[in-house]
Amino acid sequence: MSDATLNEPVLSVRDLSVTFATRQGPLRAVDGLSFDVGAKEVLGIVGESGSGKSVAMYSMLGLVRDSNVAITGSVKFEGREILGLSDRELQSVRGGDVGMIFQDPMTAMTPVYKVGWQIVEQIRAHSDMTKAQARSRAIELLGEVGIPDPKTRVDHFPHEFSGGMRQRVVIAMALSCNPKLLIADEPTTALDVTTQAQILDLMSKLQESYGSSIVIITHDMGVIAEVANRVVVMYAGRPAEIGPEIDVVRFPRHPYTWGLLGAVPRVDVKNRRLVTIPGTPVSPLDVPTGCAFGPRCQHKMAICDERPILRGGDGHVDACWLSDEQRVAIRSQATVRGVADE
Amino acid sequence: MSDEVLLRATDVVKSFTSRGKKLGARSLNTAVNGVSLEVKRGETLGIVGESGCGKSTLARCLVQLIPVTSGSVEFNGVELVGLSRRELRPHRREMQLVFQDPYASLNPRRTVGDIVADPMRINKMAGEREILERVRDLFVTVGLDPASVHRYPHEFSGGQRQRIGIARSLSLNPSLVVADEPVSALDVSVQAQVLNLMADLQDQLHLTYLFIAHDLGVVRHVSDRVGVMYLGEIVELGDAEALYQAPMHPYTEALLSVVPELNDTDAPRRERILISGDVPDPSDRPTGCSFHPRCPAATDICQREAPAFVELKPGRFVACHHPRNVDE
Repeated sequence: MSDATLNEPVLSVRDLSVTFATRQGPLRAVDGLSFDVGAKEVLGIVGESGSGKSVAMYSMLGLVRDSNVAITGSVKFEGREILGLSDRELQSVRGGDVGMIFQDPMTAMTPVYKVGWQIVEQIRAHSDMTKAQARSRAIELLGEVGIPDPKTRVDHFPHEFSGGMRQRVVIAMALSCNPKLLIADEPTTALDVTTQAQILDLMSKLQESYGSSIVIITHDMGVIAEVANRVVVMYAGRPAEIGPEIDVVRFPRHPYTWGLLGAVPRVDVKNRRLVTIPGTPVSPLDVPTGCAFGPRCQHKMAICDERPILRGGDGHVDACWLSDEQRVAIRSQATVRGVADE
Repeated sequence: MSDEVLLRATDVVKSFTSRGKKLGARSLNTAVNGVSLEVKRGETLGIVGESGCGKSTLARCLVQLIPVTSGSVEFNGVELVGLSRRELRPHRREMQLVFQDPYASLNPRRTVGDIVADPMRINKMAGEREILERVRDLFVTVGLDPASVHRYPHEFSGGQRQRIGIARSLSLNPSLVVADEPVSALDVSVQAQVLNLMADLQDQLHLTYLFIAHDLGVVRHVSDRVGVMYLGEIVELGDAEALYQAPMHPYTEALLSVVPELNDTDAPRRERILISGDVPDPSDRPTGCSFHPRCPAATDICQREAPAFVELKPGRFVACHHPRNVDE
């Protein structure tokens, strides 16, 4: 994808925290998340289930409608604060300047209306096009996302499309108002690998022609490596590591990222024993006060009882107390072990 | 791994009749269309394919969980097709299943100790005291706390539940374990733990695995040999390393080329081969080779004639009129 121009961020998130009041006490789903998305940039947010990656995006768009939720921090879209806007004001943002693609394309559409009707409605809500204009735009969009025979397909219901085709319709809908920012939550997780490739390819092409910025939320490091310019690795609601995609994948800094990358069985290299992270992801109800990853970390030190801040240079930062020398030593040892295993 | 064949399937067909599109019409859905394979004692045979390719149906047919429409399944030299339930029972002990969904495959109203003990009680393996002792041993084997046998499934995480499912499958000392997408519901860090556990158990207990998954990386990681399924047929079968390095069937080639890669070395990326369209409806199978409408290498003959599944290299079977990488 095209190089990111980072001068004026399209989306700027500062210290976002989302807390749910539950019977068992406060559940901090997102805890101090900050990042920018530049113009035409593709930002990947990666994490395991429960890491807070989806909640973060939904809460900033006012989609978390729980009376027990407290959202703090700042979210600026094109310089305008959108956190705390009324529902009415947010409605002009959502679906207009911010398009959304969801994981399950079947639940993203209503099953009782034809897909054309659904796209037309969205266009008309955000512009002053006539019905006829909006319909011809809908047909044009369906063609653009690669649906064969869009003139006929516009009058079909969602269930008449296959999974991949349905996701194309959802993408057409998300693009209908020329969004400046596209938020895609696990857009290919429900799809087979050949269909996933078609959809990722389509997203890359459209990103070039529409010039939108994209935030892609996924659990799959491979998808991140394929499409993202920059990556946020999340663990227990907190950012563990943020940096350019190529740096994070090739020179990961945080022990959690080491584990995450080592745990993926690869298609392109010979068998080796998988790196495992002991234990299971921490419950958001009892995240330790120190480093969230501490209880599962093999390199835990005394200082880890204190919460580490994001630090580093060149736009590549991580939240870990290890010094650069310690990391180099650990990593070189790991490589030696990896070779010995084979 | 030995050369002794533990399971041999010959020309297995499974079709389902379903209601057709029109009122009163019936359509025939052939989910498994003439599959032949051998599983050798001690090896892991991986079966990989996209959703709807028939890989789970094939697994169920092989262990006689559902009757086959035609074909033969030999296990330990005994023909299983046509045996009665009673006659099957001693063979069933030898082949156990691990299921995909660790939430749906454990009875929520029984303790996990009972879940693991039940197969032994049903088969009257030993007295109750001995069975309970073995349950504790099995918990240790799969890395669970033996003190937790009195708990219920909902008290465990997804990865732990999958360990319980594995303990249950091992309770009868099977020789073959059929694992149907055992790690696809798990997060990647937990998935790695379960995969490593399965590898350790195979070494310790000399198990044979039939491992079914859609994730090409997982299948490469666990398998000695791999079969690739498309629309109810195995289109390519062979040694895992050779197959991943030089795929011979155009479908395998395309499938491998589109898996997102981490790109963490300077090695050039495989060229991506995007195949267009969707998998056809198995009730409306294309003529000739079932992959021809989507195949970049298809010619006239592919439309007319179904290619035979032949051994092109030692141990490497391919069903294609225009195989790739023949000379490598």
